[in-house]
Amino acid sequence: MKKWTKIILLLIAIVAVTGGIMVYRIFTKPHRDVSSEAGVKMTAQQLFNAFKADEATANTRYLDKAIELNGEVLDQSTNQDGQSVVNFKTDDPFFVINCTFKTHPGELKPNSTITFKGICTGYIPDANVVINEGVLVGGY
Amino acid sequence: MKKVISLFTLFLLVSICMNAQKIYGTRNGKISFTAPKDEDVTAVNNEVVSRLSDKGDISFSLLLKGFKFAYAEMQTHFNNDYLQSNQFPRADFKGNITNIKTVDFTKDGNYKVAVTGNLTLHGVTKPITVNGIISVKAGKPSANAQFIIVMKDFNIDAATVTNQVNAVINCVYQ
Repeated sequence: MKKWTKIILLLIAIVAVTGGIMVYRIFTKPHRDVSSEAGVKMTAQQLFNAFKADEATANTRYLDKAIELNGEVLDQSTNQDGQSVVNFKTDDPFFVINCTFKTHPGELKPNSTITFKGICTGYIPDANVVINEGVLVGGY
Repeated sequence: MKKVISLFTLFLLVSICMNAQKIYGTRNGKISFTAPKDEDVTAVNNEVVSRLSDKGDISFSLLLKGFKFAYAEMQTHFNNDYLQSNQFPRADFKGNITNIKTVDFTKDGNYKVAVTGNLTLHGVTKPITVNGIISVKAGKPSANAQFIIVMKDFNIDAATVTNQVNAVINCVYQ
């Protein structure tokens, strides 16, 4: 075999292996598990205040972060895919912190105070701050 | 001061009643999308805030980081490489149903509607028109529609994955 054929074959092999590893990573990288992360501890009201005061700053501080949120339950419902959702109260009657659970936390009573940990995905003005992929930490 | 506030509240209530507009809303509507040539590229968002008024106004807002992919690595690429969702965290649509008069919110059924409005995605705002269905079931409406989003219309460079996605809206109002 000529030398250059060997080099080309080697290059092909390297590309194939790299490609294989990339594809393997895409299909095997586990989803983020917030229950093993230390969350930023704050109340529902504090999180609302931060976004209401300055959305851009709050985004840099809280977007994609694990948030350990303590607050009073306004209501609990089920979303269109069967996941449990809890809205936390703020001092604005039209505004809540909307939290979706990864696993069902069981029944949570309105007005009870609970601690929830999840990933903050951002702020929707006049509606809510969203946290998802969450777990119940305490207060139940 | 208290009198002024109560007068103002009264005025507000009266003007709301005179308009008599009913607004349906949800904080947990559902929007998903799929790349037409690669069905592994699919994601769903269950935290869509949507409002629909019986006068025809309709809006949708969602957070890009709320899209969940079957594969975590794809989710990272979507947010970091294609949508820059730290810089543009939200997508918004505001528009109205041009044939709202054909929808009877008091009667169960599926009503074909045409919606026009502005979609803001990745920092770009574009007018779009979408055909959909308003379904009314036991007094609760829901909005359903399917449409194509062309990546380059919104300055999204995802050419290595797809040039367009099929978006599916399914929002059940409370």
